[in-house]
Amino acid sequence: MKSIIGLGVALAAALSFGGGSPADAQRPASAPHDDGQWTMPGKDYASTRFSGLAQITAGNAKRLHPVWSFSTGVLGGHEGQPLVVGNTMYVVTPYPNVVYAFDLTKEGYPLRWKYRPSVNGAAIGIACCDVVNRGAFYANGRLFYNLLDGHTVALDAATGKEIWKTKVADLNRGETTPMAPLVVKDRVIVGTSGGEFGVRGWVKGLDVRTGNLVWTGYSTGPDAEVLAKPGTFQPYYEKGTELAQKSWPGDTWKNGGAPVWGWMSYDAELDLIYYGTGNPAPWNTEQRPGENRWATSVMARRPLDGALRWAYQFTPADNWDFDSTQEMILVDLTVKGKPRKALVHFDKNGFVYTMDRATGELLLAEPYVQVNWARRIDLETGKPDVDSSKTTGASKGTVKDICPTLEGGKNQQPAAFSPITRLFYVSTSNMCMDYSVANVSYIAGTPYLGATTPYKAGPGGNLGAFIAYDAARGKKVWEIKEPYPVWSGALATGGDVVFYGTLDGWFKAADARSGKVLYKFKVGSGVIGNPISFKGPDGKQYIALYAGFGGDWGLLSGDVRSDDPDDVRPPASFMPDIARHTSQGGIVWIFGL
Amino acid sequence: MDIRVVVASRESRVARTMAATLALHIMFAGMMPAQQRSAPPSVSYDNHVDAGGMAPPAGTLENPLKGDKQAAEDGAKLFSSFNCDGCHGGGAVGSEGPSLADGRWKYGGTDGEIYHSIFYGRPRGMPAWGGTLPPDAIWRLVSYLESQQPKRDTLSTTSW
Repeated sequence: MKSIIGLGVALAAALSFGGGSPADAQRPASAPHDDGQWTMPGKDYASTRFSGLAQITAGNAKRLHPVWSFSTGVLGGHEGQPLVVGNTMYVVTPYPNVVYAFDLTKEGYPLRWKYRPSVNGAAIGIACCDVVNRGAFYANGRLFYNLLDGHTVALDAATGKEIWKTKVADLNRGETTPMAPLVVKDRVIVGTSGGEFGVRGWVKGLDVRTGNLVWTGYSTGPDAEVLAKPGTFQPYYEKGTELAQKSWPGDTWKNGGAPVWGWMSYDAELDLIYYGTGNPAPWNTEQRPGENRWATSVMARRPLDGALRWAYQFTPADNWDFDSTQEMILVDLTVKGKPRKALVHFDKNGFVYTMDRATGELLLAEPYVQVNWARRIDLETGKPDVDSSKTTGASKGTVKDICPTLEGGKNQQPAAFSPITRLFYVSTSNMCMDYSVANVSYIAGTPYLGATTPYKAGPGGNLGAFIAYDAARGKKVWEIKEPYPVWSGALATGGDVVFYGTLDGWFKAADARSGKVLYKFKVGSGVIGNPISFKGPDGKQYIALYAGFGGDWGLLSGDVRSDDPDDVRPPASFMPDIARHTSQGGIVWIFGL
Repeated sequence: MDIRVVVASRESRVARTMAATLALHIMFAGMMPAQQRSAPPSVSYDNHVDAGGMAPPAGTLENPLKGDKQAAEDGAKLFSSFNCDGCHGGGAVGSEGPSLADGRWKYGGTDGEIYHSIFYGRPRGMPAWGGTLPPDAIWRLVSYLESQQPKRDTLSTTSW
């Protein structure tokens, strides 16, 4: 490690969330303001997933209990999170992407309205990893979200009436749209999935009023289409032009993957949006020799015109399906005694990166789970020091014991940051894999994949853990070991209680400082969604989350399914007993004191 | 569309595996332009409910390569080189797409029914391969899938 990074005590007390108002920056961390709502996926533009509500504390959390539940009627994996705006809770289901709006002022929370879109069922087979949806975004009386089949929709939040619907993605090219949009100023910003189908990844900026396409920024290809404009595009490490084309042989960038399916953040002061891109395609690196920019990267763009300000690649020439679509959490930290507008990112590749979000300079990168594909990340060059014995390719046969797996140290499940404890709360997987790939041909609309990658437990035998992590010191503070990969997002709250769910169907509350589990409840199905906190019309603090097993695990533990008599699968070798503990099925839960 | 051109350009772009080379060999051997190939006859399904009267016209299709071990082995290679395993998993045990190795079939498991599923595709994302694969290649895929089926008495009904 080149530098010691410290959170200045004085500055930490006045930690601001990027994108927050200037007033927020000065507010003491011990008494953060919170309006009791949850209007966007990550709670705020900085993606902290921190609610300042503080009625639920380590002292009283044992009195938590379920106060309400609702079956969504949908069996697919329930990623994402509800929104609470005013006295209404909004829930988006996986395909077929129904939206429910619940009236929180009435007993039993009856529906205000329900929206049932027409969604092309072919999307089911084009979505790589179950038919998930990562939620809606509320702004100015409207609810924005994506249908799996490549449409973005704007609804009147009061009535459920459709205002506009725009086709943004093409199923025939392997594109689907499970991600949640980001709404900034006059733009609705969306991206495409399809890293396993050989898409050419993009984000699009739509006009918030009409849904009309304003700009498209590709992840790969010529500067003009990546929107890397001279003068504006100023990456910290890589200099030169046509970086996203010259780092690919021939025209392989045209099917090079680098999809955008995760979470987006925004810094109002810098006027930049941040998001990560997924793996390069295909998985066999020998078919695309080069660094493959900007796959497995973080992109910083201006929201209004999409212009790229900077980009940084976490895993050059990705050999392991290490998508970097995990959230970018924007917090202000003191680094070497110097205040920094930081961006913290827990990558699939097992390292957590602390960067300067204004410039793209790498400040710190340390492993947060077991990692052996790289020894370290060089802070001078920004490049990983790769262990060549762990590199893969069609000519290399089966490469054994790579940590972490392609499921990542962490995957889609977003972390939370508490400005009070100054810790990040992260759901992790503890697994290693063998990896073999074959040469594959691109055939539109089919997987562009060709890999066999069996998993096994990492050190200790537990497949997952919920951890508290100090990104300033690069150190794990505590962990709760879990028998299965932890696939739910994290929630941090003002009462110093953190929340998450487990794949075997437990909702858990833990002490933010010690990791002691304070409360748990079996919610009926494995949890892969993200808990939120809100203040009800009665003035009380509540926690809401989805149960609903699925996502990658819906594919890999097919014996959990019970809905299809024509599709019966053996248990997964690495977790043969998960079906003892959960089946599929979407349920919305609300817990209170 | 001339399939030969498409395949040839893929050939030049990608270093082919032995399996893919074999697949191409099979394709060329049985290939004819798509528009000259006739669609297979409609087939009737055991699990369709009969409303009585005269049954709607339907043909049957029999796998000309049934029981041919070499055909099943060729089909295994096609299953990989045409990315079938990307959805249905290695060994066709299921992944994003359903298992095709559990002895159970949503759209029927007779020769003709499986052929239809591959030729025309199915809703929920199964592509139609009738415009790309010649009948001989589809039959080899059918042979492979038939070779993967469990014996009736070992049909999986329980895991816990």
